[in-house]
Amino acid sequence: MATLPHDDIYQLVREPIDMVALVSHVRAPEDGAIVTFDGFVRNQSHNRPTLYLDYEAYESMALAKMREIGAQLHEKYRIHCVAMVHRLGRLEIGETSVFIAVSAPHRAAAFDACRFAIDTLKRTVPIWKKEYFEDGAVWADGELPPAPAATSRAKPAS
Amino acid sequence: MLLAPSPGAGYNSPVPPVSQTIRVTVLFFGRLKELAGRAEDSVEFSDATTIEQLFALYVARHPELAKYRSSVVASRNQEFAPWDTPLRSGDEVAFLPPVSGG
Repeated sequence: MATLPHDDIYQLVREPIDMVALVSHVRAPEDGAIVTFDGFVRNQSHNRPTLYLDYEAYESMALAKMREIGAQLHEKYRIHCVAMVHRLGRLEIGETSVFIAVSAPHRAAAFDACRFAIDTLKRTVPIWKKEYFEDGAVWADGELPPAPAATSRAKPAS
Repeated sequence: MLLAPSPGAGYNSPVPPVSQTIRVTVLFFGRLKELAGRAEDSVEFSDATTIEQLFALYVARHPELAKYRSSVVASRNQEFAPWDTPLRSGDEVAFLPPVSGG
């Protein structure tokens, strides 16, 4: 895996995410744009009122996958710095569960990278949420990460 | 890891020529953790075993796991891994339901 710029941030946290601090962290004089994604808890799911969500992660792998996404961002886009933080545990309606900030000299790369980051995170990072309703709880429908089909011709992990 | 030869076991003893014990850590997440009744397990095999065979072991104990097989992805040592991956001693295998972060 490509080495990441040491000022990138990839974290799993159990406290509220300090978005202002993350934005200021990725901001630098040589940049001209920051694009952020703030994913937060919706008050309903399939028209059922949500009480709260509970997130869990395979933490060591989730962090590794988040860093892999970061490495891809730096390979694919002309960006400067990435902050990617996911919160775990119980989250109430309106609380931020995931926050991504990408800085770049120009806006197009920042927009593209931020979009790629959240889309890839939702597909490949081993994090799960359980949705709690008045009358019970369910694990949210998730996405199946793309997994290699068989070992014999599998490429080494990148 | 090679087993230490048992006392008195000579070359002509009726033991398999390559006897290995494979000990792996197994992790379950999301609804699989609830179905398996545990988040973590440690299992030992005396024969070559794949991730698929490991999952089958838990299906035998918790038959309701079977219907999730097609929607489960496995990892070995924090990397997504094909089901036919052979296990090595010390491996950490995880069974991952569809991910729903974000």
